[in-house]
Amino acid sequence: MEIVRNVTRHKLRSFLTIAGIVIGVLALTTMGAMAENFNALLDGGVKYFSSSIQVGPPDGQQSATLLPISKVVEIKKIDGVAAAFPTYGFQAKPGAAPSFSFGVPDTIIAADPAENNWGNLQVTIAQGRQLDSTTTGQVVLGSTIAKEFNKKVGDTIDLPVKPVDARPDFINHAFTVVGILNLTRTAPDAFAYINIADGQMLLRDSLPAELRNAFDVKAIAGGIDVYGKPGTSIAELDKIANRINAQVPGVKATKPSQIVDSFKQGGAIFTTITTAAALLALIIGGLSVVNTMFMAVAERVREIGLKKAVGATTLNIMGEFLTEATLIGVLGGLVGYGLGAAITLIVNGTTPPGQSTLFLLTPALTIFAIGFATVLGAAAGVLPAWRAARLDPVTALRNQ
Amino acid sequence: MADVRLVNLTKHYKQGAEVIRALDGVTLDITKGEFVAVVGRSGSGKTTMLDLMGLLLRPTSGSLYIDDIDTSKLGDRELARMRANRVGFVFQEYNLLAGLNVLENVMLPLRYVKDGKNGKPRAVELIERVGLSDRIRHRPTELSGGQAQRVAIARSMMNNPSLILLDEPTGAVDTETAQQLVDLLKRLNQEDQVTIVIITHDLDLAAQASRQIRLKDGKVLTDERIHANGAMLGVPVA
Repeated sequence: MEIVRNVTRHKLRSFLTIAGIVIGVLALTTMGAMAENFNALLDGGVKYFSSSIQVGPPDGQQSATLLPISKVVEIKKIDGVAAAFPTYGFQAKPGAAPSFSFGVPDTIIAADPAENNWGNLQVTIAQGRQLDSTTTGQVVLGSTIAKEFNKKVGDTIDLPVKPVDARPDFINHAFTVVGILNLTRTAPDAFAYINIADGQMLLRDSLPAELRNAFDVKAIAGGIDVYGKPGTSIAELDKIANRINAQVPGVKATKPSQIVDSFKQGGAIFTTITTAAALLALIIGGLSVVNTMFMAVAERVREIGLKKAVGATTLNIMGEFLTEATLIGVLGGLVGYGLGAAITLIVNGTTPPGQSTLFLLTPALTIFAIGFATVLGAAAGVLPAWRAARLDPVTALRNQ
Repeated sequence: MADVRLVNLTKHYKQGAEVIRALDGVTLDITKGEFVAVVGRSGSGKTTMLDLMGLLLRPTSGSLYIDDIDTSKLGDRELARMRANRVGFVFQEYNLLAGLNVLENVMLPLRYVKDGKNGKPRAVELIERVGLSDRIRHRPTELSGGQAQRVAIARSMMNNPSLILLDEPTGAVDTETAQQLVDLLKRLNQEDQVTIVIITHDLDLAAQASRQIRLKDGKVLTDERIHANGAMLGVPVA
């Protein structure tokens, strides 16, 4: 109780000191929540790409990312390959003005629903059901894209979405929404999943009108996703990718480790920049605690002398001042986190449907933000507390 | 048996090349329940002797026994424990904590003793005995000088010490209040048989003690017992 009174004894000074910590923790919370959001997105990519091999056309040999679908059969014969699936990807909103976003753009993914059983990133159904590989005209929407177009199970959605300045010959198709996915905080949230047959239909639509009948789209894949047996390590998948490159002509299998490393590197840089900026702000706040505590010691020299006279040990005095500094850190941490959390919730809440939210508050971030402020407060109090504890009681008692 | 025993107690300070002999080989016994006044001019060594007896200073040489414990052999933590359990202090400037009320100030020494959690009834009783029951929740800024010093006296009694040391306790109050404080100290001394040592310039106060020790240049000049009728009986100066 006395500790609280000591903190509130100089209201303005305590307010300004705590405000320094509040600003630092607020910065740490918002920047950290942004980094957590970005990392969640990247983690999804890491999860997905660490369990599959992406196969596309060889580097620099063709402008379109198209492959003969017969390569699927060839790849399946490679030692270590347990499954291979053709895939197709299309812009869901072709012609949309480019804009900066932390999320993945809305994308139509055509794939075999069975592929979801492979790999580490498995989407789950929130409403409705999974796609039927044999029934065309159906779509399963990611949570963000479903919100963006305000769709629920049973509604229809025209895909790709017709641009406002679309040419008269623009083609799209009505798909019935049969399922909506749970939130993953990563790419699938912005995906509209259709089956292979519908993907091949969209592939044909994407070709120039003069060429649409020149190809058998059923013989073409946009890319191939390759899987090893469940539990296959990245190192082993890298070896499988090497074998595909060596034994299957006309394709390029990218090593999963390369993709995963680039994701992790991007995440680490972003986290370092945002967290370092926030920590800097917090440490500056911590210095104000040091200053305040030194002032408190200077003002309470006689009090320290008296406490020693009535039996306080060096540790008792240190403990009292450390507790006071820690209390300042805790208060600053709680208020700063509260304000930061409120800002992230408000900003996320006002994000237009369909846009990825900017912040993600996680339990780890909460513990780190409040915990760091607490530890910082305590650390800032060590030197002043040590000085207080070492005061000579005789001198302290007669200090004027 | 002596409650407090000083044996050739010496405290020297270095001031540049010069050695200040603040206390210079003082030997005396103070018996349990004595009311001792220590007088002398400024610089005679009174305050140094009080600080040594209060275990706030370590002697340069010599020994100090409190309740037959040789304090020169104790470490810092043990000295702190001794201060908490066996010594009470009262200062001229009261030294009450501004953030605490009367009750909390009186209970302050409980913080630093092992079984100090159940001391509230004792604190309330002491506040009653010093006549401040109606001020128990008041802050020090709401008290007069005499009331503040009563609180300091109650605080010094909190842990049932063997010895209470008072440094110019009446120096900041008027004569009437000073006499009231002396009466209070005499009453506590008689009721609790607590040993009281007062450092003072006030000869009227000193005359009311049961023993008067006069210091000069760090040595005991005179050591006299005061009879009930005011006559002084010399005791041997060791």
